[in-house]
Amino acid sequence: MKKKTVYALLGVAVLGIAGFLISQALSSSLVYFILPSEYARDVESFEGRRVRLGGLVEAGSVQYDEQQLHLTFLVTDGIAGYPVRYDGAPPDLFMENGGVVVEGKFHDGVFVGDNLLVKHSENYHPPTDGSPIDVEELKESLR
Amino acid sequence: MMELQLGPLGSAGVFLAFGLALYGAVAGMLGAQRRDARLQTSARLAAVAGFIVSTAAVAVMQAALLTDDFSVSYVATTSRIASPTWVKVVTLWAALEGSILLWAWLLSGYTALLAVTAPLSPLRPWAVSIMQVVQVFFFGVVAFLANPFEVLPVPPLDGPGPNELLQNHWMMAVHPVLMYLGFVGLTVPFAYAMAALITRRPGTEWMTQTRRWTLTGWGFLSAAIIAGGWWSYEVLGWGGYWAWDPVENVSLMPWLTATALIHSVQVQERRRMLKPWNLVLVITTFSLSILGTFLTRSGVVSSVHAFGSGPVGPAFLVFFLFVTLVSFGLLALRWDDVRDRADLDSVVSREGSFLGVNILFVALTFAVLLGTLFPLVVEAVSGDKVTIGAPFFDQVTLPLWMLVLALMGIGPLLPWRRAEQQRLTHNLAWLTGAFVVAGGLAWLLGVRKVYPALTVGLAGYNLMSLGLLLAGALVPRLRLAKRSAFAVLRSYAHESRRRFGSMIVHFGVVVIAVGVAFSAGYRVDQQIRIDFGESAEFDGYTLTAVDRFVERTPQRISSGAVIEVSRDGRPVRTMTPRLNVFGDSRAVPTPAVMYRPSHDLYLNLNSTVGPTTTFVVLRVVKSPLVTWIWIGGFILVIGTAYALGGSTRTVPARATVRAEERAQA
Repeated sequence: MKKKTVYALLGVAVLGIAGFLISQALSSSLVYFILPSEYARDVESFEGRRVRLGGLVEAGSVQYDEQQLHLTFLVTDGIAGYPVRYDGAPPDLFMENGGVVVEGKFHDGVFVGDNLLVKHSENYHPPTDGSPIDVEELKESLR
Repeated sequence: MMELQLGPLGSAGVFLAFGLALYGAVAGMLGAQRRDARLQTSARLAAVAGFIVSTAAVAVMQAALLTDDFSVSYVATTSRIASPTWVKVVTLWAALEGSILLWAWLLSGYTALLAVTAPLSPLRPWAVSIMQVVQVFFFGVVAFLANPFEVLPVPPLDGPGPNELLQNHWMMAVHPVLMYLGFVGLTVPFAYAMAALITRRPGTEWMTQTRRWTLTGWGFLSAAIIAGGWWSYEVLGWGGYWAWDPVENVSLMPWLTATALIHSVQVQERRRMLKPWNLVLVITTFSLSILGTFLTRSGVVSSVHAFGSGPVGPAFLVFFLFVTLVSFGLLALRWDDVRDRADLDSVVSREGSFLGVNILFVALTFAVLLGTLFPLVVEAVSGDKVTIGAPFFDQVTLPLWMLVLALMGIGPLLPWRRAEQQRLTHNLAWLTGAFVVAGGLAWLLGVRKVYPALTVGLAGYNLMSLGLLLAGALVPRLRLAKRSAFAVLRSYAHESRRRFGSMIVHFGVVVIAVGVAFSAGYRVDQQIRIDFGESAEFDGYTLTAVDRFVERTPQRISSGAVIEVSRDGRPVRTMTPRLNVFGDSRAVPTPAVMYRPSHDLYLNLNSTVGPTTTFVVLRVVKSPLVTWIWIGGFILVIGTAYALGGSTRTVPARATVRAEERAQA
């Protein structure tokens, strides 16, 4: 009986420590997937935190320094838009009005990305007649 | 004359296989319950017939793929005339429907093998029937939900070809087959465990019957995971091999529980302990392989290699719930039969270390499961879309992996029941010494990161452990027999195949651990732009962009750059990273890798190259010791095969029979 109590206590202790470590790790490495308008609504809580920012590349906003490999462009969801800085060549299929997901952090309204993915969705086509973008649909198509 | 239509022929095979599995499952169980030998035999024959019929179905699919019969739906959606023959052959498992057909076929092969070769025992009829129940599900999915043999009334002239990432590397011919062989292999111990529960024989019988199947399944699964890592290294273009992607995680989880299993069954064999625990592990391993298939085939987790949505995902979810509920329910019903009566004498013993390593592997499984499923939970609760990045998995699993390495060294040196104090101190002194020397040496040589330094220390510690184990086994033999050390080693390796095989496997694990620690800890990753004719420096290397090229084959168009790599002014290698375009698909970056024992140099094109481009953008990655992961994986597989080869520790009954035979002869 005594031995069992010791095992039980040991087990609880191990589980407790493991639970604590896991919850710590979870909360610090949870990466939210957001659109520019969601950032605009809650700037404080996303500042300096690692997120995945999705949206469309605004037409006419792309600047690429071929020598230094600096890429900047505006990512927008029709409601809000933010400049994105990315060190590297634009990936294949990167284009204006195309969907992208950038991983990185916001610093004073500028998103510094370190990973740029082109999301080529068959299901989503941005409106061409000037009608507003369906934000929910856009988000679903980019995930 | 009517032309032979492959579609209906294949469908017929699949439906027949489904019917045979259903018949076998019912007849086998009835036969087992009524102890009716004729029914049991007919179920076994159904297993063999099912294998023959499903082999025919697979052959029909191969014929359709090789003859470009686009009236067969699967061929129309996944194959292409211009593909080379080997690509057409492996197209069988390049998409959802075909890969489930392959899985079902392998399952029917294992079932037939089991029905023919398994020794007669009260467990066998139930085990074969349970394999057939699993077959009913798989052939049911193939026949009713994802039939690859549907006939297209208006066949297209050509198809799109398999996913371009899959046809870009031969490894894709190997990895999925290994994976399914692993999953299917681990279905056998599950079937036997269920049979043991049903017949109230939860002793060691089911384990001795399935020891080889378990080890075989585990070996294939290990090989599959390593091959998958190598594939993503050679194909995905980021110079890594493991990204904690959901698809990778779900293949790792059953491996973790299966690893726990092959260690804990030894405790039950030797000490008659951990009976319920082993059953839980077997059930969990099988359930996790089904859950994994659900997660990756249903589109619920976002992943780089998910196959997309359809009715197949939900079917796997239902089957997962069915398997889990029925098997754990059965375990609960039989709890009184399986409860442990023995107790641990001392934690510091072989069984204590096996218990410890089990806890570690289950904790690892739990961490990986949590990280994989947590995003789903968050989205269900709050609607936020989140991902769990690699940092979580690294943070949680790395300490556990270190503990695994630590236990791997000390465990095999501990005796069963209780360790003797003097011997323990002696062994621990040697191990600690090796740990300190190896770790200290690494520190002096400039390894200042915690985990790589720790891994080197633990590698030294484990090598010392292997040395002590061998010395412990060989020295007394050397004293007894006056033979050369090599001859003694050979006879020991031959006599104790399992033990010696496990040493090889553990050595492989050490090699992998060192490879992972350094390639992850000291990786250099950089984007570099080079004008053609110019050079750039990268971590001791000079890369010169010499030329660009375009190659056309019927199958693909390749364009790329010719990069001359030199070091200290001496040319080292000419590398040609490229982009491959298959048919109308998007361009697939195809990295060029220079394999070296000390480090790999990895070049991937990050810009398109045409006849007029004046520069190239390269992603250059230098990963130290990464090759040792593949070498270690190879050693691990060799060790597993060695342990499997020859006869394992002979079952007493059989030994007596043999002795009698010898006496008679």
